[in-house]
Amino acid sequence: MPVDHFLLMVLYALLVSVFFALLWRRERRARIKLFLQLFVGMVGGALLLAWLMYPFPGGPPAPIP
Amino acid sequence: MSDEERPEGAAPAETGSEPAPLPSGRGLGALVAGFLVPGLGHVFLGRVGRGVAFLVLILTSAGIGLSLEGNLYRMTPGQPLTYLATLGSMGMGLPYFILRWGTGYQGSVTAVGYEYGTAFLLTAGLMNLLLLLDVWDIARGRKS
Repeated sequence: MPVDHFLLMVLYALLVSVFFALLWRRERRARIKLFLQLFVGMVGGALLLAWLMYPFPGGPPAPIP
Repeated sequence: MSDEERPEGAAPAETGSEPAPLPSGRGLGALVAGFLVPGLGHVFLGRVGRGVAFLVLILTSAGIGLSLEGNLYRMTPGQPLTYLATLGSMGMGLPYFILRWGTGYQGSVTAVGYEYGTAFLLTAGLMNLLLLLDVWDIARGRKS
């Protein structure tokens, strides 16, 4: 399986958002609303955090196992 | 609590200070079934569609974790956090025990997706533990 950080993050957010939308809401419209809130919150929050961290210097490159 | 204050999906609160009745044998059976096979508890209680959806979600999460060769936690003496993580992973029920003792799956710490896979595997277990709480509430009549 290809390891794409962003793709895996989106996939994870997708699974978790669908799960909680099904678990916590019973009405179709409410489920869609909660799903969008969670999904956008997780993906958008991660992108925002990444953008805020951009000016900070990175460490040395990770060693190749 | 009025109808407007009640969380969505919650059944009307019981009046007075009497606790809700404990789940019947069928409810306890649903709990056990839900622990062993994700989503089966909901199916037992008549929520077939939701149960199947939960099964697919949890198996998908576990499958992605496996394909990334993530860590399937086991208890390591001297590392208390692994105890918690193991309990969380065990939450996925039969799949955990089949993977651990049936196939001898261990994951690969040198795999590129190891950390991601670990997160997916742990999430699968934690999701099912949350489902058990939902089954419990449905069996007690607190949720629909």
